[in-house]
Amino acid sequence: MNKTFLKILFYLIPAIVIVASVFIGSSTLFSKKEIFEYIFSGFQTSNQTLDSIIFNIRIPRILITFMIGGTLAMSGNSLQATLKNPLVCPYILGLSSGAAFGAALSLAYLTIPIQISAFVFGFIAVLLTYIISMKKNNVSTVTIILAGVVVSGIFTALLTIVQFFSDPFKLQSIVSWTMGNLHNSSWEKFKIAFIPILVGTTILYFYKWKLNAIALGDEEAKTSGINVKRDKLIILFAVTLATSSAVAISGVIGLFGLIIPHITRMLVGVDNRISMPFNFLFGGSFLLIIDDFSRSFFDFEMPIGVLTMLIGAPFFIYLMKKNNIGWE
Amino acid sequence: MGINKIISVDNLSFKYNNKAVFENVSINIFQNKLTFILGENGSGKSTFIKLLVGLLDVTEGNIFLKNKEIKNYSFIEKSKIIGLLKQSHKSVFPFNVVDVVLTGLTNKIKLFPTKKDYQLAYETLEKVGISYLSEKNYCELSGGEQQLVMITRLIAQDSEIFILDEPTAHLDLCFQSKLLSLLKSLLSEGKTIISVVHDPNLAFIYGDDFLFVDNKKVFRVENGTEPWNENFIKSIYKSSFKQIDYLGKKLIIPDFN
Repeated sequence: MNKTFLKILFYLIPAIVIVASVFIGSSTLFSKKEIFEYIFSGFQTSNQTLDSIIFNIRIPRILITFMIGGTLAMSGNSLQATLKNPLVCPYILGLSSGAAFGAALSLAYLTIPIQISAFVFGFIAVLLTYIISMKKNNVSTVTIILAGVVVSGIFTALLTIVQFFSDPFKLQSIVSWTMGNLHNSSWEKFKIAFIPILVGTTILYFYKWKLNAIALGDEEAKTSGINVKRDKLIILFAVTLATSSAVAISGVIGLFGLIIPHITRMLVGVDNRISMPFNFLFGGSFLLIIDDFSRSFFDFEMPIGVLTMLIGAPFFIYLMKKNNIGWE
Repeated sequence: MGINKIISVDNLSFKYNNKAVFENVSINIFQNKLTFILGENGSGKSTFIKLLVGLLDVTEGNIFLKNKEIKNYSFIEKSKIIGLLKQSHKSVFPFNVVDVVLTGLTNKIKLFPTKKDYQLAYETLEKVGISYLSEKNYCELSGGEQQLVMITRLIAQDSEIFILDEPTAHLDLCFQSKLLSLLKSLLSEGKTIISVVHDPNLAFIYGDDFLFVDNKKVFRVENGTEPWNENFIKSIYKSSFKQIDYLGKKLIIPDFN
């Protein structure tokens, strides 16, 4: 395909998906035409319900969904390249179980807000994974995954204890949180996560070229002038900052950060200079489309984590069978 | 004009898992020479060159790179002076060959590579004679082709010293001699080349200087003896050889008699 055409598509599709999503929802109180006029008048209307549903419910939800999809995909890609391992994603490093435990703790016992508790414990879990896998000031590829699995196990066990001692109502909200939720998105939540996500993803964006060099091998990168140890820590920090903020407001959206980078690689190749921004735009659009489905087809709120698995997995399997990804 | 030492190893000792690999090694390596490092399998040749590029830290003693201790260099500074080709390299991700070569230019690239950097990568591919591989998938190349790509990457890095660990290991006879001629030609650009090789004859045909690794030491042949001396080679490889003359060069062959 023509390169310029691809580039236009690159930016156009996310924009179309975002705008189209504003028109999708369960409310039947107003027509599409009214929404159209509302947007083009610069969010001015005399219809209070319209204003409140579009501006206070749909738009923050769309922005949060896009931001989270993009963040998870970009973070997954960064980790896979940095650790030279196509099997890692932020959740494999213990982030999700740490955050889920934090959220459960807050829902069941603590008075601190769930977002903060999830963020703190998600961060602690990843930190633990790094510390355990550090050997002679270096993080090795295999041990970091083993450490992640162990740390995940610990926090999952702790989560089970909290669930076991919670009353049924709290238990229900804990379970719903661990399956990912976007239905109570708000501007407030957006504001909580926006800055840390912006900082994290901007750092990652500027590493998109160095990621190529690091992905080819630590020793090769070192001898060609990269301070690999320092750069790895910066990348891991940026990933943790961005994803724990994402998890804190959306709950656990399983395997999204693992699958999307693979789909991206099949579509645009392995060069991280292209795949990093593409992951953000594609991941954002993809999660938003899945959420749009959920908003238009169900009259109840299906947890987004369940849908990403049900829709993402077959798509992934299809691409995996069709393309030779080259992993041996 | 005297011969300048570019790398100076001073009383180096190195232990790996508390086992001594090198003890009190002191040796100089000279500028603008093609120096070959020879020795038995497992004698520590690869370890020695990893110490020279600073990928391993010395247990005792010092290594000076252009009169400055190697550990005092930043990664960028060091990469402009010394570059390494490892024995073998595998990539997890199927990068395009030209993108692999481009990573050799890391120390020149500020934030992201420019068109000029790409041009340089293509020119280097041409110089090594593998332009036809430019857009190929690195992971699908043969071991020898991958080796050539990594050599191109090293040449693109354009450091003053090139250290190569068995660059000919995966190459057929044709590319072996092509590569060694290429390395020879880099000397005329002022480069210093240090290479581990298995085949002493390749070393004796192309080399200027020879280092031997044996029994926790790195050393040159004693004054008055030639490196292709039958008894000396026998002492290094613990096996019998015969010396033969060919076009004024001394070669050695296994003693099959």
